[in-house]
Amino acid sequence: MAGAGAREVMRRIKSVRNTRKITRTMELVATSKLKRAMDRMQAARPYGDALGDLLRSLHAPGLAQEQPLLRQPRATKRAAVLLLTANRGFCGVFNANLIREARARLETLQAEGVDTELHIAGRKGLAFFRFRGSAIASATTGIGDAPTPEDAEQLVAPLRRGFEARDLDAVYMISSEFRSAMSTPPRTARILPVEPAPGARPVDAFIVSPRPGRLIGQILPRYLRMTVYGALVENAAGEQGARRAAMKSATDNAGEILETLTRTYNRARQGQITQEIAEIVGGAAALE
Amino acid sequence: MQLRVVTPEEVVFEGSARSLVAPAWDGWVGVLPGHAPFLTLMGEGPLTVEPESGSSREFRIGGGVMKVEANVVTVLADQVSPG
Repeated sequence: MAGAGAREVMRRIKSVRNTRKITRTMELVATSKLKRAMDRMQAARPYGDALGDLLRSLHAPGLAQEQPLLRQPRATKRAAVLLLTANRGFCGVFNANLIREARARLETLQAEGVDTELHIAGRKGLAFFRFRGSAIASATTGIGDAPTPEDAEQLVAPLRRGFEARDLDAVYMISSEFRSAMSTPPRTARILPVEPAPGARPVDAFIVSPRPGRLIGQILPRYLRMTVYGALVENAAGEQGARRAAMKSATDNAGEILETLTRTYNRARQGQITQEIAEIVGGAAALE
Repeated sequence: MQLRVVTPEEVVFEGSARSLVAPAWDGWVGVLPGHAPFLTLMGEGPLTVEPESGSSREFRIGGGVMKVEANVVTVLADQVSPG
């Protein structure tokens, strides 16, 4: 191989080395953001658990007639799908998984003859559905790495009002489940009508103020907001976990490519030296 | 009695208390050890806590729910700012 070949390989080595530097930095950043996101997830649990307990103990079969958020529609005519994605990419299949789940849910609903409307949080989901030309009922892109309960409220308030006004019969939320930093599968949850988990512990023994029917009316919107807030926080953690994994494998791959390229470069250089020696020896032999 | 003040974002206070005065939706509520099981909507205002040890603490509560059960008080506050 000639000198030009070795130079070309050297150029690629430098380029791959730079890429590896970037992916490694992104991996480190994601690791530290993941830590904070997991802390936030942890910190949201006591409130969520306590509120869930409270709702379960206040829930009674008769309340469904009285509380708009507990209304069980006889038939679902119109449903909303709330899709939570990340604002940024470079996190492997994280966003693609969520988008696929949302499409599957929309198709299932449409096949059942349900009118659907799509609400999206996160630039990645928005970009996909906008490119496809799908109708998008609302889009939010301002939620950062540290979602707040206010973010959740802004997302869910229009859906809650729609359900209360009977414009919507069901609301589904698609977000990722944070099993571990390596495993963040998408998940669909029906958030409206609110359906408290079974295992109700009645509150007959409690002094309740205002009366249970009114109190639960105050708790339900909070429960709904907390459900969405919990999902936002979990999604943020999942995003960072997925990004860390993706950047780690990119860094590892870059390392492997570097090894191969270095070997190619050394062989080219050795070949060049051998050739030069052969030329010198040949030249010297020709002079004799 | 045990007191826990939590918001969606964090646990603000966790510890033993001798007494507390909380802003309920319809007025002030005082809770002492041995209070009957009680569930109330909260309004906005300061929550004053007399801890088992140390000086009294105050938190500004921006609405929420309070539960008293078996000497355990749980305040689920929408927001808490330092009093």
